[in-house]
Amino acid sequence: MAVGASVAEGLPSATEGRGGSWPGVSVAPTFVDELILEVGEEAGRLLGCLQCGTCSSACPLAAYMDLTPRRLIGLVRAGAREAVLGSRAPWVCASCYACTMVCPKRIPITEIMHGLRRISMRERTFPRRFPTPVMSREFVSMVARNGRSTESLISLKLYLKTDPLLLVRNARTALRLLRQGRLKLRPARIRGRRELRTLLDAATG
Amino acid sequence: MAEELTARAPSLNGGPRIGVYVCHCGLNIAGTVDVQAVVEFARTLPNVTVAREYRFMCSDPGQELIEQDLREGLVNRVVVASCSPLMHEATFRRATAEGGTSPYLFQMASIRELVSWVTADPEDATEKAKAHVAAAVRRVALHEYLEPREAPVHPDVLVVGGGIAGIHAALTLADAGKHVYLVERESTIGGHMAMFDKTFPTLDCAACILTPKMSAVRAHPNITLWTYSDVVEVSGYTGDFTVRVRHRPRYVREDLCTGCLACIDACVHKQGKVPDEFNLGLSKRKPVYIPFPQATPPVVVVDPESCIWFKTGKCPQTCVEACERDAFDFTQTETFDEVKVGAIILATGFRTFDPRRIPEYGYGRYPNVYTSLEVERLLNAAGPTAGEIVLRDGSRPTAIGIIHCVGSRDVRFHAYCSRVCCMYSLKLAHMLRERTGAEIYNFYIDIRAPGKGYEEFYDKILREGVHLIRGRVAEVTDEAATPEEEGHLVIRAEDTLLGMARRIPVDMVVLAVGLEPQPDTEDVRRLFNISCGGEGFFTERHPKLAPVSTFTDGVFLAGACQGPKDIPDTVAQAGAAAAEALAMIDRGAVALEANTAHIDEERCSGCKTCVGLCPFSAITFDEERQKARVNEVVCKGCGICVAACPSGAAQQHLFTDEQILAEIEGVLAYV
Repeated sequence: MAVGASVAEGLPSATEGRGGSWPGVSVAPTFVDELILEVGEEAGRLLGCLQCGTCSSACPLAAYMDLTPRRLIGLVRAGAREAVLGSRAPWVCASCYACTMVCPKRIPITEIMHGLRRISMRERTFPRRFPTPVMSREFVSMVARNGRSTESLISLKLYLKTDPLLLVRNARTALRLLRQGRLKLRPARIRGRRELRTLLDAATG
Repeated sequence: MAEELTARAPSLNGGPRIGVYVCHCGLNIAGTVDVQAVVEFARTLPNVTVAREYRFMCSDPGQELIEQDLREGLVNRVVVASCSPLMHEATFRRATAEGGTSPYLFQMASIRELVSWVTADPEDATEKAKAHVAAAVRRVALHEYLEPREAPVHPDVLVVGGGIAGIHAALTLADAGKHVYLVERESTIGGHMAMFDKTFPTLDCAACILTPKMSAVRAHPNITLWTYSDVVEVSGYTGDFTVRVRHRPRYVREDLCTGCLACIDACVHKQGKVPDEFNLGLSKRKPVYIPFPQATPPVVVVDPESCIWFKTGKCPQTCVEACERDAFDFTQTETFDEVKVGAIILATGFRTFDPRRIPEYGYGRYPNVYTSLEVERLLNAAGPTAGEIVLRDGSRPTAIGIIHCVGSRDVRFHAYCSRVCCMYSLKLAHMLRERTGAEIYNFYIDIRAPGKGYEEFYDKILREGVHLIRGRVAEVTDEAATPEEEGHLVIRAEDTLLGMARRIPVDMVVLAVGLEPQPDTEDVRRLFNISCGGEGFFTERHPKLAPVSTFTDGVFLAGACQGPKDIPDTVAQAGAAAAEALAMIDRGAVALEANTAHIDEERCSGCKTCVGLCPFSAITFDEERQKARVNEVVCKGCGICVAACPSGAAQQHLFTDEQILAEIEGVLAYV
């Protein structure tokens, strides 16, 4: 993806994020501060990023990312909030932790990927029609509702919301699975759904 | 003085018996040259009695071969076919002397630098090596028996330049009990370091660590401190230089002024009127001034260019009235001192690159574009703004861009890296952020932080949230492309790591200017008879193994006059230069080259051609006998007189016509 124009729009103008004067240093909260709140103190280590690219070369999925982990971290530091939160990269991440293991500055890259996913989910800035975030949303909402996931229904929703053509392409497989009794169309539910709701509400505050 | 050079006729038990020793130099030589064939060839040459090969002639067992053959009388002259005279001539001369004869009965055949390293074909190389050996054998047969000579060393030292390099070298020597003349052009010592606020990576206050050393220089009984002075003439040679120093008038007597500064307050000018050089023109000073409060010596200077008394002769002279010590003396003129020293340390420093040469950065055009050195003054509590970052237009910056590599790593200006700019730019980023709370953007090509604690400092600056943008700035402009850019300076650069062009609006631009040679380097080079590299810094004798020596014996280098370096490296080098000078002085004598010229009086016609040509003033004319005379202690063996003498009376030891012709014949006879 050509980052150019779309990212530049997301850059902070130099006229914002100021404040304070000598002797106290006081700089307005940045995207990095936001990530620290979301992920934890250790996310602040990304300020020390050398842009060496070890993370990107270690990542098994970097080839499928629009922004490599290195560039993503660089853009976070540059304050390019829109570009980062609209990127597919956090959604391609398989949470294998290869990047985190090799980072010479011990930046918790995988955790930052998770944090970026949470923020973009909240703010609905995740890439539309990209399967992973849709899958994630549908899975979570179904489990919250029913206490169980029903693969047939999740797949259906995923295909409808991302690429309906896939529904046609996979129809034969689905029919064979149905015939074998491997695909249930009726939503599975647990009994104590109300208790589950209470539990989840308590957990997520 | 040294004992007279003696050139005895070889009383060497009959004719010459030459030993030829061919070195393998591991595979450096033996990998290309057939050493065995060269040895066998050498045995066929006239006067050769011994020919041997050895893996490393420069090793102890290698040298022992030579010494033993000499001691046993098998040989009385030595040829070593090995590397080059620059590398090991001294080693083998020493071995020859150890064998009990004159070290000058030795000749080297360079079959590594001149043969094996440059001739690829083994057969060609072997033949070429034989030719070099044949030449050396013919030559050494004619070498004279010369005694090594020495000259005593004067124990005093001259240090030129009173920056941190000169200060440290002078103090080291003075503490070792040597008398030092420290000559500084400005009215105070301290150099560039005195201008800085803090130093990387420890953020020590520059004044706090420098001024104690400045005071120590002034108080030291072994240091004669001459400020507002310069070296105008140098003559003599290693161990015995004569130096003439000019003292410019400051119109204030240094022995009376106490630095109370009452005169400055009393000056008829209520405000400063001329740009203050020490503050790089960021403030104004009066005609009577002191560069900074801790100036050493703490003596005021009167600038006759701006002083009303000097310009018009009419002034109530309120300064003179205010002086309780009667220190003013408007009749002062230039004075001179002449001193003798044994060694000289040059610590003449550097100047910063003038960014006007890069018009796209807007220095001199946009008032809010500053050089890094100007920002050092702005940050300094004793500077023009008392440490507050107030811009030329009176505003305070909320966004600051720091541009690295200004004038460095750019073949249009200086191809080299100035070494200090990355670190001082990071330091300025830290300090500007601390003082202003502004957003700081550093634009760099590479960050070079290769010192103790430097990478850690870089990491600290990154974590403080300074924006480091990898990309060389194309332009600083005031042309706004968006409403937000209106009224700002816009820095245009590609963020090469994020892969996009960026425009960053800022209020202040800092140009991290590189280090370059002083403008008068060429004059200084001539004065002290040393050499400069292509970039204009003084050349060290060897970049690795003789980094503070020069090609002129007795002249040493310290600090940035040899090349850009930071304070830790400068101080280390100054200490090294002091140690080299000390080693020379405490040895008490210097070895003199044997290849001096002498006059064959019978042939000398008294034309005096040589007298005027000698660059070392080593030739005098004996009026009584009407003959020229060479002072062989002063002679450096340059050979100019030998070439110029119309009657062939001027001859040079180790370079007689016969020796050189024999050498040429040796090569030709074989080819």
